[in-house]
Amino acid sequence: MPTESMSNDVKLQRFLAQDMTQAELGKRVGLTRQTIAAIEQGRYSPSLDVAFRIAHVFGKRVDEVFHWQPGVNEGNDAVSLG
Amino acid sequence: MSSLEKRALLALWSMCPVYCVYFVIQIGLPYLQPTMLERIGCLAVVASIHATAYVIGLLAIKRREAGEPLLEDERDRAIDGRATRTAYFVMLTGLIVVGMVMPFNNSGWKLVNSALLFIVLAETVRYALILIGYRSPRLAH
Repeated sequence: MPTESMSNDVKLQRFLAQDMTQAELGKRVGLTRQTIAAIEQGRYSPSLDVAFRIAHVFGKRVDEVFHWQPGVNEGNDAVSLG
Repeated sequence: MSSLEKRALLALWSMCPVYCVYFVIQIGLPYLQPTMLERIGCLAVVASIHATAYVIGLLAIKRREAGEPLLEDERDRAIDGRATRTAYFVMLTGLIVVGMVMPFNNSGWKLVNSALLFIVLAETVRYALILIGYRSPRLAH
């Protein structure tokens, strides 16, 4: 059973962006304050579209804000391209 | 608490107690030998109480939400969609029972009340799943 996990630095990025509020970030990306809170707490994985928009607000790439760790099984299945 | 969550909570609180009382009365009614008018009156009173409680609650919610820029987003729609899909199957089961099975053995108010019961059940399942959806540990888009 894969045990992948998503994490993000949205809270950190908000802090670095002059302590931007959840409501302000939500307004800029078209989400409610509650959904921003859920994303920060890892209770909701946003759509790709929203992830790009959040990263864009902070002037970062998506992979700098959102991180995905493959599960134990999936990590072993990785194909070497070298 | 998000807008959809508040509305789901309001719908549950305004609907469940009122219809619980209604169905308890309906179980006892045959012993009281009510007339058709009394039965319709009972249903009308219950529906009016439900509607009044819901509208008052909705107005209170709308008043508190005035000025909020966004009331619903993709997470709300995902939670609502998931809850509605499950409630649809409850309604489908009700339709099969009330519309295809019960008419062979029952008629009149038994059919009416059974249909109403399945509507209330489907709505309860939908709103309960919405509330659970907001509290579940993880929901992917």
